[in-house]
Amino acid sequence: MKQSLILLLILIPLCQSLSAQYDDRYENSFNTLHEMLLDSSKYDFKKAVFSVENAYSESILDTISLNKKIAFLKELSQRLIESRTLKYKGKDKEVVAKYAALFSVLNDSIPIQDSEGNIYSYVPYSYDFDDPFGHEEWNNMFVSKLLKTGKGNCHSLPYLYKILAEELNVEAHLALAPNHIYIKHKNEKDGWYNTELTSGIFPIDAWLMASGYIHTDAIRNGVFMKALGDKESIALCLVDLAQAYQREEFYDVDFVIKCANTALEYYPNYVNAMILKTEAKGKKMENFLLRKNTDFKDVNNYPETRELLAEVQNELTKIYELGYRQMPEEMYLNWLVSLKEEREKYSNQDINTFNATN
Amino acid sequence: MKVYLKTILILIFSGTLSNLGFCQVQLPQTPSPSSFQILNPSQNVVGTNTGTPINFTTPANGLAVYEKDKKLVEQQEIQRNQIYSDLKADLINYSLPGYNHIESTKYYREAYNKLTELDETDFSIEKATFIIENAYFEDQQNYEEFNEVVNQTGDFLREKMNDLGYDKESNLAKNFMLFQFFSDTLEIKSKDLKHLPLKYDFDDYMGIKDWSKMFVSKLLETGKGQCNSLPRLYLILAEEIGAEAFLSLSPNHSYIKFRDEEDNWFNVELTNGMFTTDSSILQSGFIKSEALQNEIYMQTMTSQQLFSLLLVDFAQGYARKFGYDPFVKKVVDRALKLYPNNINAHMLSSNYLTMEFEYVAKQIGIDPRNKQELQNIRHFPKAISLLNQVNEQYDKIDNLGFEFMSPQAYQKWLESLQESKQKQDNQEMKEQFNIKLQPLNK
Repeated sequence: MKQSLILLLILIPLCQSLSAQYDDRYENSFNTLHEMLLDSSKYDFKKAVFSVENAYSESILDTISLNKKIAFLKELSQRLIESRTLKYKGKDKEVVAKYAALFSVLNDSIPIQDSEGNIYSYVPYSYDFDDPFGHEEWNNMFVSKLLKTGKGNCHSLPYLYKILAEELNVEAHLALAPNHIYIKHKNEKDGWYNTELTSGIFPIDAWLMASGYIHTDAIRNGVFMKALGDKESIALCLVDLAQAYQREEFYDVDFVIKCANTALEYYPNYVNAMILKTEAKGKKMENFLLRKNTDFKDVNNYPETRELLAEVQNELTKIYELGYRQMPEEMYLNWLVSLKEEREKYSNQDINTFNATN
Repeated sequence: MKVYLKTILILIFSGTLSNLGFCQVQLPQTPSPSSFQILNPSQNVVGTNTGTPINFTTPANGLAVYEKDKKLVEQQEIQRNQIYSDLKADLINYSLPGYNHIESTKYYREAYNKLTELDETDFSIEKATFIIENAYFEDQQNYEEFNEVVNQTGDFLREKMNDLGYDKESNLAKNFMLFQFFSDTLEIKSKDLKHLPLKYDFDDYMGIKDWSKMFVSKLLETGKGQCNSLPRLYLILAEEIGAEAFLSLSPNHSYIKFRDEEDNWFNVELTNGMFTTDSSILQSGFIKSEALQNEIYMQTMTSQQLFSLLLVDFAQGYARKFGYDPFVKKVVDRALKLYPNNINAHMLSSNYLTMEFEYVAKQIGIDPRNKQELQNIRHFPKAISLLNQVNEQYDKIDNLGFEFMSPQAYQKWLESLQESKQKQDNQEMKEQFNIKLQPLNK
């Protein structure tokens, strides 16, 4: 008994100092993101993403080698642009050539020759069906992991695409679907179109709509399928940050709520931020009741928790009214695979001409 | 499906001035002062002053003189062209000529006045529809007769609801009744009354040969209609029996939306008499997310938006009967004021602007589809601004999320609504309604 008490005494300050350490890292990343939102520092998606991943990786993210890899991919894209001619003949063909090169870099095997004349086959990135939701390892969501292993998911692949697009000085818009992120571009000839990196296809909107989990209201309200602007993309990073933070052993619920609130300021209908917030508030109620030695049955007996509960109820109603419906994870994978199976039905015939080289 | 959409689409996509062709063309720059340096008098003097000995001393200088002369001639040529263009520009008519001299256009002008008297936030769709169709028929229709048919049908529906023991206040019951009126055979035995389902008319369903094929009066006469007249009649009858129902658009198509007492929404597809799900409409593959975000498809039209759509129909009727003139533009502008993202109005407007530009181009003597010739409009700032307007209009349509759906694709989609999955959904919904309406059945 005595022994364990001593152990506890030792452990408590240790935990506190540990938590303080990583709190700093997250706070730093939060500030980096927030400054970009406030325009007090320059918007830089790469910097934003790596700041989040660095916080989770205990500040040991090897940015030098990551930047090297990104520089290589940029170089490869530029070579591709020089070496082929697109079928596309719109006025904006120079920009479209960059989109097409990026798509190839992430999806196609490309033969390359080094300075000594050796020919290698460049292996493109692929979708990682192990742990696509980062349940086992939160790292699995990361661009840094994708760059290291060549395998990524619907989070890291579009993020890398956007980073590379910005390296090439073109825009790429992230867009959301349930549990999913993809890329939207606009060109002069085809208007808006989608680029799906997990299967390397340009799907028409009907594919997303047919998932069965996108209510038309959610589309109307910009919850899903909206081409996100730069600040909205940073809002996505803020929620990533809070989610990574929650993976730590101890975490401060208020920091999570702060991230969510800031994200919502810049992307008011960002449902993931709303859900994050309601969950954090739920946790807050739970903690409060635990301290009072009781549980949820007394939720209405304390003004603090009563108020939080009312807030959460309002927020959940709003989430529902915006048209959000949860998509079970198994359904998600089936749906993702459906794109390959029903390629004919859902791929955008206009855009596929991109693949044509020479 | 809709006549005007179709015709406009043909215009835009099949050749007359294909919009893509236009967009590709590098817009000519307005002449900038630098391109007219030629007019500098000192230069002229140098060029003509061939008498100075230096100019004769070396052959190189002789060549320079030749070059200068050649340039001068070219510059004078340009100058002359500019002067001709300026003279011509004064003679050019920059807007399409009106058709006011045609006697029967007055019915349209009168009808427009009547339409503007209506309150667009609260108007009778029956009256508005009558005014629009009657203008096309040159005031030869009789409103009392039209109204009589609507009233009688209303009586029939009320009687039948009574017969079936439906709740007379229920919006679901009223709409379900209307749905059956369109899709089933209804009888009132006690009065020996019988009504057969209304049919979809495959013949000239876009009204290309005869615009009046789109009309409710034609539907009432023949019992056959299409996706324009069927929903229109539904709304008229809904108004008559006090049911709440809304028009909604999808690519080349329109349908009805209504809700029950618990705020569940339903889609009524009148071309095949079925209830459809949102996903079967989205499956057409021609609805972009931007189209939903910009409220061009699938939302319930407000009264004002519906009025705006009617105005476009009205303008389209005029254009079909007489052609495009500033009256069409006036009506479309009003429609866009009421419903700025009205896709049909934007289509009609792009059509109008295209015609207008072609008309001006013709006067200048250039073929707008010939890229080389098109460059010559640089001398005509007003024509340039018209071309810019055309291109802006096409951009606007793209940005709204519009995507062209071919008549073949449209037909294919309509057929897909007959597939088994759809039939099953329809059956399930019907059963659901019967259960909901059951307790009141006698």
